[in-house]
Formats: sequence, structure tokens, C-alpha cells
Amino acid sequence: MTHRILVIDDESHILHVLSLKLGKAGYEVLTAVDGEEGLHMARDCRPDLVITDIQMPYMTGIELSRELAADESTASIPVIILTARGYALSSEDLQARNVCEVLSKPFSPRSLIELVSNTLAADDERSAAA
Amino acid sequence: MQKMLKMMTGCLVLAVLAVSPAWGVCLLWVRETTGSTAGIPWFGLWCISVTGLFIVLLPIGIAARGTLARLHDYIESPDARSGTIPGGPFWLRPVLRTFVHAVEQFRRRERDLRNQHRDLEIQHHVASAERRQIEAVLGVMSEAVIVTNAFDEIVLANQAAGRLFGFDPDAAHRIPIEQLVNDESLRSIVQETKSEGNFVECRHLEHRIEGLSDREGDSGPDCDISLACVSDHRDQLSAVVTIIRDRTREREISQMKSEFVSKASHELRTPLASVRAYVEMLVDGEAEDEASRDEFYRIIQSETERLTRLVDNMLNISRIESGIVHVDRDNVDMGEVVRQAMATIEPHARDKDITVHRTIAPVDLHVLGDRDMLSQVVVNLLSNAVKYTPQGGRITLKIDSDNLARSIHVSVADTGLGIPPQDQERIFEKFFRIENYKRVAEGTGLGLNLCRHIVETVHRGSIGLDSSLGMGSRFWFSIPMGCEESLAA
Repeated sequence: MTHRILVIDDESHILHVLSLKLGKAGYEVLTAVDGEEGLHMARDCRPDLVITDIQMPYMTGIELSRELAADESTASIPVIILTARGYALSSEDLQARNVCEVLSKPFSPRSLIELVSNTLAADDERSAAA
Repeated sequence: MQKMLKMMTGCLVLAVLAVSPAWGVCLLWVRETTGSTAGIPWFGLWCISVTGLFIVLLPIGIAARGTLARLHDYIESPDARSGTIPGGPFWLRPVLRTFVHAVEQFRRRERDLRNQHRDLEIQHHVASAERRQIEAVLGVMSEAVIVTNAFDEIVLANQAAGRLFGFDPDAAHRIPIEQLVNDESLRSIVQETKSEGNFVECRHLEHRIEGLSDREGDSGPDCDISLACVSDHRDQLSAVVTIIRDRTREREISQMKSEFVSKASHELRTPLASVRAYVEMLVDGEAEDEASRDEFYRIIQSETERLTRLVDNMLNISRIESGIVHVDRDNVDMGEVVRQAMATIEPHARDKDITVHRTIAPVDLHVLGDRDMLSQVVVNLLSNAVKYTPQGGRITLKIDSDNLARSIHVSVADTGLGIPPQDQERIFEKFFRIENYKRVAEGTGLGLNLCRHIVETVHRGSIGLDSSLGMGSRFWFSIPMGCEESLAA
């Protein structure tokens, strides 16, 4: 089964490179350019994973993850946050928002693919156990 | 001979003086013993006595007068300073000697008193000068300084202390500290320091000032406080010096620096992330064909150019802010600057089918300024107008002179997106970008800040904008014709 990944970033080049890399790794990639659009797409398309930038127009990545966690239909979607700026969030806060990883920019697409793979595998295991 | 005569006259006078009362005593004795005074020539005796007294007193008076006159001359003469006894009748010599000694004593005492008086005057002048110096030093200090005596009265306070606690420092002398400083805990700290009486070490602590009248409902400033005890000549406490340093501004600056570093880091990391990702893709051979590779190279190039612009702008702003930028001041024709800037921008405008109109007033448009910097301002404003004006829009550039204000006025108006009212004040801040416009065009968030620095800091001009959301914007700036030397120059 092909995993569906939603990538949200207002930087077009980042969206482009992640789409390419994830597409080549065999994932189905959806993209959104701001938090609000990303939230709608997440609710509509139910991706297996959300990768989001933190600082975006209309809605930040943190607000988006909170909205996803608060909505029963999207509460189980794991979130990977990309950030070019450190955010002071405790591990409990991140866990409450289903944020499984915070990746600092600039990041290696190779390591991101590895992280995505591990996250989805863990999520599959958790779903199977449930 | 003359001296002898004088001596004889003196002897005679003394004899008369001695005899006259003796006669009187003798007659009194005769009367007492004989019981009769008949036959005694009372009137003759009286005349003899009076004459005798007159004869005695007259030369004494004359001699005393002469001597006094001589003494007066003597006091004023150099002999007095050398202690030489003046000449005079021999019988007045002891008196003169005593007088001269007394005069010497008085003179010595007077000299000592004059010296003491002069010393005291000098000390007074020195003390006054030192106090004025101390007051001047305290006056220019940004720290509040309050000196209290052993009775907790203010003996010295500077302007900063007056501003902080809201009192007149010139009228605070000898007023109890509790009447002027509302902060009870600060007063307790001063009391504790006084009780400890440590003359060797200063006391340093952090304290939040309370009870400030102009900050009702607001907590007072965080301050660093240093206290020192001052001893008098008997090693007793004479004063407590309290120095209060407001750290609010320091913290604000520190916070601004942190924010700048954080924003700069964010802005640098974003293009760097693209560069790293595309380079890694190329290294991993994930660009399948020549077209993909070219696209990757183009993105890497554009992102590195973005990085370069960012770093250049940051450095330029930093140089201007710190006043170390080199300003190449010259007589600049702003009309020519505008024409060149238009030539740079017009190809980009054509790509978006944007028409650019220019109105250059046929007047003298020269200013004293840096040609490259002024050109950068015009190019930046035109570039922004092109970036944020939709396809087929219109840009109007106007330049004219304001003879009243003696300045050149340049404006760039567009039919673009406009700027929301709440963002208009922040548009010239570092790294500020309107969130919704980030997708419209790339930018560093530093261009307008740099424009403001070039116009206001370097050229002492002014810059601003008029804008309505959805109706376009008009950015303008004015440069004085004869720009005064700026800080950055």
C-alpha cells in the first residue's frame, strides 16, 4: 500500500524538492502552501503523514498540528515539523500534537526519507497492534 | 644739655606732684592735731595743689600724646615688623616695651588668623569645586545616585534619581528618604546596609523598583543596585551611597539582538535548506535528465543569489547602524539616478506586461549624497512595485523638487496589492514581510529597511508610504538638497 504524505511549506523550492524526493521514494505526495490549505487537505485526504514548515501564512505548523490533534478524524496522523527557527516546545507538548519529530533547516532529504520511513513503519505497527 | 633740661623739668614736675598732695596731708594733720585750722591759707593751698596737678598732668598729657602719635606711626612703620622698640621718654619705656610686645603678639595672631582664614577660604573653594564636579558627574550619569546620611536624610541625589522617583534633586537636601522614595523595600535595603556598616566592600543586588507614581498598575523597572557605606574621620558611618542602574533598556536591546539573530538565522536557513537539498539530489544522481539538472542548478543559483542579497543587505544595514559605512558624498543629479534605475527595472516590468510612467520635473534635481546608495533606494522601490503589481499593472515614478523644504521628492506608485493598514507601520522593519505576500514574490525582508537607513540615517531625509489594500501603494522619499553631514559619514 502506498503511503500518502502531505507536505506543507510556503517555500516553493522546499515543496518541489520534497515532492521529488518523496515521489522517488515511492510515496504519494500532496502539497499545500500554507497552514489553512494544509489543514483542509489533511481533513479531506487523510494522509498517513504530514510534513509541515513551522512559519507559514494564515496558520503556523504548531497551530496546524494542534488542530489535527484536536480533530478526531485527523488525530492519529503523525506530524513531522520542519523549522528554520528553534521553538521552545516540551516533548509533552509535541506528543500532545502528534509531532513525532522536529527537523531543523537545512536538512538532508536523505535523512528525511529515512525519518519518514521509520515514522510510517512505527505508525503501521501501532495501527496493527490496535 | 637739652636732655638734662628735660630731665630736670621732669624731676621738678614729679617733685611738685609729690609735694602738692603732701602739703594737703600735712595741713590735714595740723588740723587734726591742733584742732584748729585757723590761719591756714586754704585758697592758696588749693591753688598750689591745682597748679601742681596741672603742672604734672600737662607734660604727662603732652608726653603721652606724643608717645601715642609715635606709637601710631610705629605700628605702621617697618620697625614694628622687626620688633624695634620706638624712642620715647625713659619713664614710658616699660610701657612702650610692653606695648610693642603686645603689638607683636597681636600682629602674630592676626597673621595666623589671616593664614587660617585664607586656608579656610581655599578649602571652601576646593570643596565647592569638588562638589560641583561631583554634581556634574552625577548629573550626567544615567544611573540614579542617592546619598543618605546617618539620619536617613538625603544629602545628595542626581537628576536620574529625581527622574526615577519623581522628585526635584535640588530641593531634596536634608529631606528624609522616606518622604521622597516610595519603594519601602529599597529603603529597607539602605537601612540594612547602614546597619551592617561595611566600609570595605560594596553591596550589589538586583531589585525591582516599586511604588513609582507614573507606573500605576505596572511593575517597576528591574535594576542593579550597588550600595556603599562611607565613614567619617572617626570611622563612624557618615553616609550610604546607593547607585541604581535601570536594566530595562539593556534587556530590550538584548532581546532585540536575540530577535535579530533569530530572524537572520531563519532567513539564512531557508535558502540554505533549498541549496543543500538540491545539491544532495544532484550528488545522489536523482536528477534524471539534463532538463532536471538544469532546473536544479537554476534553483541553486537563485537561492545562493538570495543568500548573497541577504548577507549584503544585513551587512549594509549593520554598517549604517554602527556608523562605519563609507559614504561617497557627491553632487548627485537625482533625475539621472531615476532614469538609470528605470532602465534597470524596465525589462522586468515588460516581462509582467507592466507599464512604467515617469514624470521628471524640469527643475534642478541635484542633491548632495551618495549616488550608489540613492540609486539602490530607487531600484529597491521600483523592484518592489514590479514584484507586487499583478500582470498588466501600472507603475508611476515621479520626481520633483520642493523649494520650500529645500528637498527632492521621489515617489513610486503602483496598482499592486496594497499594504494592510496594520502592517504599514512595520513594513520598514528588519525581516518584516507581509505573510500573504510571501508567495507572490521572493524577498529578504531587508530591502525597505535598508532604504530607510539610506534615506534617514545617511541622508537625513524621510521615507514613507500611502497605501490602500487592493488599490496599490505609493512609496515616497525626500532628500534634502544640501544634505548635512550625517552620523554615518
